[in-house]
Amino acid sequence: MSRSAGRTHRLGQPRRARVEADLNDGRPCVVDGRVVDGVRESWLVEDRWWNGSPIRRRYWEIVTTCGRDVVVFHDLRDGGWFAQR
Amino acid sequence: MDGGAGRITGRTCVRIVIVCVLLPRFQLTVAAGDREELLRTPAALAPEPGGEARVGEASPAAEAFGVRAGTPLGEALARCPSLTLVPPDPAGVADRWERLLVRLESIGAAVEPERPGLACFAARGLLRLHGGSLERVLAAARHALRQPARLGAGPSRFCALAAASRARVRRPMVVAGGEAEAAAYLAGLPVALLHGRRETVSLPEPLERLGIATLGELAALPRAAVADRFGAQGLLARELACGRDGALAPRQPPERLAEELELPEALSGVQLDRALQLLVDRLLARRERRGRTLRTVVLSATLVEGGTWRDRVPFREALADPQRMLLALAQRLALLPAPAERLRLAVERFGPPTSDQRSLLDEAVAVRRSRLREAVQQARAAAGPDAALRVLAVEEQSRVPERRVVLTPFE
Repeated sequence: MSRSAGRTHRLGQPRRARVEADLNDGRPCVVDGRVVDGVRESWLVEDRWWNGSPIRRRYWEIVTTCGRDVVVFHDLRDGGWFAQR
Repeated sequence: MDGGAGRITGRTCVRIVIVCVLLPRFQLTVAAGDREELLRTPAALAPEPGGEARVGEASPAAEAFGVRAGTPLGEALARCPSLTLVPPDPAGVADRWERLLVRLESIGAAVEPERPGLACFAARGLLRLHGGSLERVLAAARHALRQPARLGAGPSRFCALAAASRARVRRPMVVAGGEAEAAAYLAGLPVALLHGRRETVSLPEPLERLGIATLGELAALPRAAVADRFGAQGLLARELACGRDGALAPRQPPERLAEELELPEALSGVQLDRALQLLVDRLLARRERRGRTLRTVVLSATLVEGGTWRDRVPFREALADPQRMLLALAQRLALLPAPAERLRLAVERFGPPTSDQRSLLDEAVAVRRSRLREAVQQARAAAGPDAALRVLAVEEQSRVPERRVVLTPFE
């Protein structure tokens, strides 16, 4: 990535993830090829609804069978899964 | 020497012997200067500028009218309409007193100055140095002073003061023995002697009003009764009357470092501040300072109207920074009661070396920042503009994680 001096760069940008979810409750079962062992927490974020680019995300903090702690969200507005830290 | 007095030799003396040097009306004598005839007429020191309206030391003729040191000015003038008020000379008194203390210290004495005109020292360590007898120590002290003084010796400071107040200039008074002998000697003396101690200066009058005229009568009073009526002051007075007293606390002989400036014309205001700045610079430039900070200084001035002014200025922390010293001293200089024709700044006590100063720590921070800036520039020159970045929190509390922090150029 190339940046010129004076420009700022946001940290913690979402990156696309390959997720297989449960069709009944939307809970992730496999994330980037790793099987989910359990869900630690889930929360909903609805923000920026007052301007032209509103955000609606369902976040999941999960632990995979290999012991990784991962935060992923499902974009409820445009679709797609993303990983974020 | 009287009943309780006796000769004390170096071999037989195992008890504490305190020598008291008394110069009566020292401040008035110094302030009168060449006008010695003033001391033969009713005269007293005028109140210090800005201080309480009470007269200072009074001449014997004024005392005959009932005027004493501490008498309210109005009352003093009512008692003695012909009273001459002599402008005080605190700077001259301090100088002259310091010279006398140094002379006493030159015979090996560890001197405790009580007030200008009254000092005590222990004789025991000096006996061998001066021929083995107390008389020789007293003779050495009298010779060193080079001016008439009353000398007394006794087992306690107060007893020595009482002896000195009854001594003649050429005949010192010695009270031999210990606590019992001191109490016996003091028993017949008037309570007015308590004027000689700063802590008990206000007690003689109320004691006399209660019919207690002598120290013996005071010593005979029950301790609890004295405590009820006079508190801690009364208890101390009773202890003194019983021949007991605290230990001597000799001073550390100070280093003398001073700068003085003759002002071509009487100055005040901004010009005086400039003169003060010059004095501070000169004092800090003195080689004898050897890099040390100043803890306490004495600022004094000779006033154009006559008399002097003196103020002791202890700094909140030891300083060697002229600007901070000026800030502290200029406030005091504003209290000067009249234009000055001479200004003097003297060091009373030194602090630790200059390396402990806060200003140097501040400089270290500035130097560190300058080095860091230089390092960033060199890193950018070698690895491109993004070589040095920093994390900046922009919306720390945002619910959307990517909005919380950004990477931004270092500066």
